[in-house]
Amino acid sequence: MVILRMEGIRKAFGGVPALDGVHFELHPNEIHGLLGGNGAGKTTLMNILFGLYRMDSGDVFLHSKKISISAPRDAIAQRINMVHQHFLQVDSFTVLENILMGAPLKESLTMRFGEEEKKIAAIQKRFGLEIDLGATLGDLPMGTRQKVEILKALYRGVEILILDEPTTNLTPQEVDALFLSLREMVKEGLSIVFITHKLREVLSVCDRITVLRNGRNVTTLRKGEAPEEEFVRGMVGEEMNLEKSILFSGIRESRAAPLPGGEALLKLEGAGLRTADGLQRLKELSFEVRPGEIFGVAGVAGNGQTELAELVLGLQPPTAGRVLVSGRDVRERTTAQLLGEDVAYIPEDRLHDGFLPKANIAQNLILGAQRSRPYSNGWLIDWKTVFASAQEMIAQYHIKTAGPGEVGGNLSGGNIQRVMIARAFSREAPLLVAHNPTRGLDIPSMDFVYSKFLERKAAGRASLLISEDLDELLLLCDRIGVIYKGEILGILPREKFEKYAIGQLMSGVRREA
Amino acid sequence: MTAMTAKTTSRSLLGTAIPYLLAILASFAAAGIFIALMGFDVLRAYSTILFTSFRTANGFIQTLLKFVPLLLQALAFTIPLTAGKFNIGGEGQLLAGAIGSTAVGIAFSHLPPALLLPLVILAGVAAGALWGLIPGWLLYRFGINEILTTVLLNFVAFSLVNYVATGPWRDQGAGHPMTVAIGEGGFLPMLINNPPLNAGIIVAIIVAALVYFYTTRTVAGYELVATGANPRAAKTFGIKTRLMFISSLVIAGAVGGLSGALEVAGVQHRLIEGMQSNFLVLGLIIGLIAKGNNLAVPFIAFFISVLEVGASAMQRTLLIPVEMVFIVEALILVFVLLSDVVRRR
Ligand SMILES: Nc1ncnc2c1ncn2[C@@H]1O[C@H](COP(=O)(O)OP(=O)(O)OP(=O)(O)O)[C@@H](O)[C@H]1O
Ligand SMILES: [Mg+2]
Repeated sequence: MVILRMEGIRKAFGGVPALDGVHFELHPNEIHGLLGGNGAGKTTLMNILFGLYRMDSGDVFLHSKKISISAPRDAIAQRINMVHQHFLQVDSFTVLENILMGAPLKESLTMRFGEEEKKIAAIQKRFGLEIDLGATLGDLPMGTRQKVEILKALYRGVEILILDEPTTNLTPQEVDALFLSLREMVKEGLSIVFITHKLREVLSVCDRITVLRNGRNVTTLRKGEAPEEEFVRGMVGEEMNLEKSILFSGIRESRAAPLPGGEALLKLEGAGLRTADGLQRLKELSFEVRPGEIFGVAGVAGNGQTELAELVLGLQPPTAGRVLVSGRDVRERTTAQLLGEDVAYIPEDRLHDGFLPKANIAQNLILGAQRSRPYSNGWLIDWKTVFASAQEMIAQYHIKTAGPGEVGGNLSGGNIQRVMIARAFSREAPLLVAHNPTRGLDIPSMDFVYSKFLERKAAGRASLLISEDLDELLLLCDRIGVIYKGEILGILPREKFEKYAIGQLMSGVRREA
Repeated sequence: MTAMTAKTTSRSLLGTAIPYLLAILASFAAAGIFIALMGFDVLRAYSTILFTSFRTANGFIQTLLKFVPLLLQALAFTIPLTAGKFNIGGEGQLLAGAIGSTAVGIAFSHLPPALLLPLVILAGVAAGALWGLIPGWLLYRFGINEILTTVLLNFVAFSLVNYVATGPWRDQGAGHPMTVAIGEGGFLPMLINNPPLNAGIIVAIIVAALVYFYTTRTVAGYELVATGANPRAAKTFGIKTRLMFISSLVIAGAVGGLSGALEVAGVQHRLIEGMQSNFLVLGLIIGLIAKGNNLAVPFIAFFISVLEVGASAMQRTLLIPVEMVFIVEALILVFVLLSDVVRRR
């Protein structure tokens, strides 16, 4: 039994094929993992199904009937809906308004939505998607905003729900809750296409998987029929050497080595941050990151991590205490100077804070370094050098693009993240502030980033790794500080790393000293 | 390697040119239907529009004279656009510049050319820059929308022109409100005397080249582009975006002011009410057709100048209203924007 079949799908962008004869089948009541490396064509395939892109050739059958979808409107009419990798929402609207936006409504002029509200509330209850419909969207954390998108799709009525990397911005707890909701949905008759790069999610929630590579099918597997190794191999690709990988084999050399000495490259002395309206965002942070150290900051999203990064970059001056970068108070220098001299930065929200979608790859790669050598003499930009090193970075960091001149907005989500990585690591700055640096990356790329962190360590550079991925922190860090409500509740050295203890601290339970 | 890059660039150049050509063809075809319905001879109308500029020396020089203010007005729009800001105050800046130039040109009319001409031009540029600084500062300080303030400042400029052109400097002999002429030392030198072509065209082309250089080669230009591409990311990476906004508006104002100064020093030699003509709207159309690309602006500005000169000839000889050409221009814009939407999928 097949509910949806896509056959021989081809799509090229400016002559470069993104999909080359792809087949895809969806069964009723299944969660189907759509997997593949960054730039493999997952989003493109689903965008075609949702009517955002037009395929060059191929056929789509729904319930064995050939259908043609030329706009999202058609897809929604066929009860197909999609939650995007980078979704668009109106921050100043309420949850309810965002859900109703674009829906055909009888009462759209009077704005009396009582009935619709009841309908939505019923859906919420059925699938366990609790959100306050009256809340303003801009105030909500990422996980909740994601739920809003799912709710919106459900409200419009779906049979096929496409989720493009829905878990990248979710905490582990939120992921668990989402999976419960997804299970409810397939029980009620939905079929779900689920795009992810996380092995654990694939193994725990997907009934079948389809793997794409470079725009072609690699394999389709059913859980239970194929051994787990085959799933893993399908996800990471043929080339990756699992034995040598940091991710699968851990770090070989003894990491219990004493903390590196030397003067701290980052030092916080009772640093605090209070907003103009009196909210205490950060409280009395004191720690240091030494040369050759990877210092991790663990915590549930929204506990002050972004503010901490902004403090170190001089984007917000501390309202209490001091922050020293390479021994100098951050307030002595502008952000531009810090970025030009001592700090590299990977922001959490790549699309909003780190990327210029309308500018080309080369322009994106020098953002923050545009005033420094070798890219410029302070006045003029040396584009020849910029393009040459952009070319190098594209090769070294495996950015899948037509070249340094390509518009950034054309890149796939993971390749945008690779641009963030390339920009930050290529600076070889004494201090790196990396916030969720592997978000949206495929497994081999993640592994590559980990090796880059270790390279920095070996070269005696300091890294502040802020991450919501505890496994990543446990793997890489020399010490981990746990942040909760703007406070560091504890700092653990590597030999004291213990998942349970860190988890406790992350939920605000302070250990007795 | 080089051959490959050359090939890809020539292909992408063609790729960008084709939608433009199609848009132009489509809009001519669409407007042609109107012209035919109105009972006029379409072919003659179009040959007049397209070839008047190239048939006679006079036609060509008329075109160049139109080209100068159109080019500068378009740049006054595209410079802030690069940073994501909309300057709809080009005509106010032109008039402010014209007032500044005229004031200096009359007040110091006895000075020799070596002194007076630079003063006249500089006064126009400074006055225009001031007209850009006001909305820039209001945006910087209070976050007031620049579209609103630049438009409103146009009206302030209209009143100022009225005040100056009917005040003590008024030319009593003229029926229309205008001032007396500025000192001869403030006239731009002539490149050709008959038909008359002043040196303003050289200044305009140099400015266009400088703007292109500024936005594509300099660090400040890069920061302007980054700000326009994503102000939040630009700010996170240390670019002073609000300073970018204000400086782009000041530079735009200066360029707009220069267009006024060149009109005074090169063409009119005085301040005349209504001298802003419809340069603002045409400048916007040029900037929008160019999609903010400063390299494309001069070429499109020239093309629009050809249409404009052709349009007046068409009205004179065929009695077809000039507005027809305005429709063609607007249609080109619509089709260019449409081709963008189509191509994106
Ligand atoms: N609008 C576009 N214009 C040009 N190229 C595009 C466009 N959209 C996608 N591509 C290219 O198509 C390829 C596939 O992209 P797609 O977004 O489908 O990848 P993906 O599998 O979703 O990857 P990721 O895991 O990184 O999100 C990429 O090489 C990308 O650069
Ligand atoms: Mg994708």
